[in-house]
Amino acid sequence: MQRWKQYGGLAGLFAAFLAAGYWGFTATGGALPWAKRSAQALQRGVQESGGALVDFGRGIVVAGPIRKGGLMLEFGGLVLLLVVLGVGMYVYVDRYGGFEDGDRQAR
Amino acid sequence: MAHIHLGEGSFPLWALVLWTLLGVGLISAVVYRVRKGGIKTHQIALAGIGAAASFAIFQLNIPVWGGIHMNLTGLVGILAGPLLGALIALVVNIFSAALGHGAVGLLGANTLVNASEAIVAYYAFKSLMGMDWDVFPASASAATLGLSAGAFLMGAIIVISGVNGSALPRGDLTIAVAGLVGLNLGVAVIEGILTGFIVQFLASVRPDLVGLADRDTQEEPTGVTT
Repeated sequence: MQRWKQYGGLAGLFAAFLAAGYWGFTATGGALPWAKRSAQALQRGVQESGGALVDFGRGIVVAGPIRKGGLMLEFGGLVLLLVVLGVGMYVYVDRYGGFEDGDRQAR
Repeated sequence: MAHIHLGEGSFPLWALVLWTLLGVGLISAVVYRVRKGGIKTHQIALAGIGAAASFAIFQLNIPVWGGIHMNLTGLVGILAGPLLGALIALVVNIFSAALGHGAVGLLGANTLVNASEAIVAYYAFKSLMGMDWDVFPASASAATLGLSAGAFLMGAIIVISGVNGSALPRGDLTIAVAGLVGLNLGVAVIEGILTGFIVQFLASVRPDLVGLADRDTQEEPTGVTT
């Protein structure tokens, strides 16, 4: 397919979704974290509000229930465990071609 | 990024049972398909990395659209396939709920939402590649479409269930949920672009990982010689 059609389609999709996103942003309370926005919108309905679409000053933070619940260590441990398992399996499979002989069918 | 963040007891019991049964049904069908058809071992390994990445990014709130988190379920679906993608959605939701991010009672509903994202993204990517699209627009579109499917499903689940303690009539609740779904569509664009770049990079260095080349035809690593 011609490239302009591909990127034209992608741009159209993005434009429509960004417009929907902006409407959703203003209709559900403006610049609010998702959990607060969700609870507020579902309890009180649509509430028009604005605010910055991007707020780099806030930085990237870990989800509230984990941060406030003192579970940062557990979170870090779980991520580390999954990363080690995933990368370990990948390296093993990539080097030896599979867990048994070649492309074993999982059972 | 669709994910139902309501606390325990937010849905009526019948809805909880319904979504849990549907979630169990989906996972049962996936496990049956895996046992029946099998999956290649390199996909399992890739799924491990996908689960790690998805779980980690699931918990990180980025300062866009007021504060949202991404799922990477579109990427996971494209890389690991629809079956493993659904299983990864279950695993990520279990770990997240264990840490308090998402209710345990909503595991079924949230698994349905995230699994639908991976499944739709996978089939959309395959269809677009079959139509001879380039990797970036195909993967970005597929991930965006997958995430939008999850967003609509999330909205439908909330509207059908109703929310305990909410005095909103069903019509007003539907409009409020539509706003949340709309915001999710905006987030899907960000995640779609990110997924597009990641898949394009992987396709350039390891096309076999995204199903663009036969794994057996890849060159053997020559290693370091002395």
